[in-house]
Amino acid sequence: MNHALSLKIGPATFRIGSAWRQPVEALARLYADYPDAAGKVADFTVRLEPAGLFRRWLRPSIFITGDHGLADAAPMSLTHGLLAAEMGMNLQMALGWRRHLLLHAASVERDGQALVMTGESGSGKSTLAAQLGERGWRLMGDEFALLDLATGDVLPFPRLVSLKNRAIDVLAAEAPAPRMGPLLAATAKGDIRHLVPRSDAVRRMGQGARPALLLFPRFGHAAAVRGVGQGEVFMRLTQASTNYVALGEPGFAALTRFVRSVPARAIDFPSGEEAIAMVDRLWEELA
Amino acid sequence: MPHRYCQDGEDAVATCVLEDMVLLYHRPSGQTHMVISPVPEILAALAEGAALTASEVHGELSRHYDLGPAEEALPQIEAHLAELTALGLVRLA
Repeated sequence: MNHALSLKIGPATFRIGSAWRQPVEALARLYADYPDAAGKVADFTVRLEPAGLFRRWLRPSIFITGDHGLADAAPMSLTHGLLAAEMGMNLQMALGWRRHLLLHAASVERDGQALVMTGESGSGKSTLAAQLGERGWRLMGDEFALLDLATGDVLPFPRLVSLKNRAIDVLAAEAPAPRMGPLLAATAKGDIRHLVPRSDAVRRMGQGARPALLLFPRFGHAAAVRGVGQGEVFMRLTQASTNYVALGEPGFAALTRFVRSVPARAIDFPSGEEAIAMVDRLWEELA
Repeated sequence: MPHRYCQDGEDAVATCVLEDMVLLYHRPSGQTHMVISPVPEILAALAEGAALTASEVHGELSRHYDLGPAEEALPQIEAHLAELTALGLVRLA
């Protein structure tokens, strides 16, 4: 690879190689405050390669690959190179991480306790976590929460927050401009802009927290709070985990411990402000 | 001769109760099963190496639970034992 960068995010170290300079430069700028992982043994390699023989130069088109790859991943435009690199890192984590139970969930911390939020893409968990991260909570991650198999703590994976469409303006109004990445217009997921987590979230990325509340957020509905039974929570979390089956019995033990000890609610909300008020109220009540 | 059923090994299943359902982690297969009554009770009747017929399982359960008329309960227990055997949680002795 002509251009390369090593990054440490939470417990994972990545080496990103690229046939082009631009994606690596964009990553280096946005991850400038993260610990220097140069020379460290990488857990994963991500490679951004030309999709075909001439595609390095001619309508440059990126194929994402690495230690773990998806055979049918669609090539992406070089102008979305930053997104390709982020997707590549997510893919390695989702397919290859075995040291913790990986939950597709956002998490934030306050007073040593973690709020975990899980839901489908578009549920609003990422935006809500990012907003909370600007308002006194420590952002632990918007995409993956890592459940420690021994202690039951949630460990951070504070990569860049991937803001989509309407969430871009919401966060641009709250976070200072230098922490916002470039606008990646018209990607497969719509417009995307990345947000660098606040410096304390980066500095404390090795520090876990005891999970105290689990929420299943759903954006775009009238405000409502619903209790969720432990059986449903368990089922939804196995669906939200990419490595539950691979981890075997330690995964079973960690997940059942989580389900039995962490109160859970489903919340519907029509706006970010209402969601934040609901979170504050539920946190006060249950955490 | 009626079939005799036993658990799939003494230590084959890890159990976790979640409110009104029970999770069974089957160690040999790595599969997790979510079950409700009377499955946990049937498995408990086969604890400690017991090898019982469906009728004996029914007898064991009826000592602790009101199962209603035997002609209705017994076929249900037989059906559960057949399902549990198919899943590998129970085997023929």
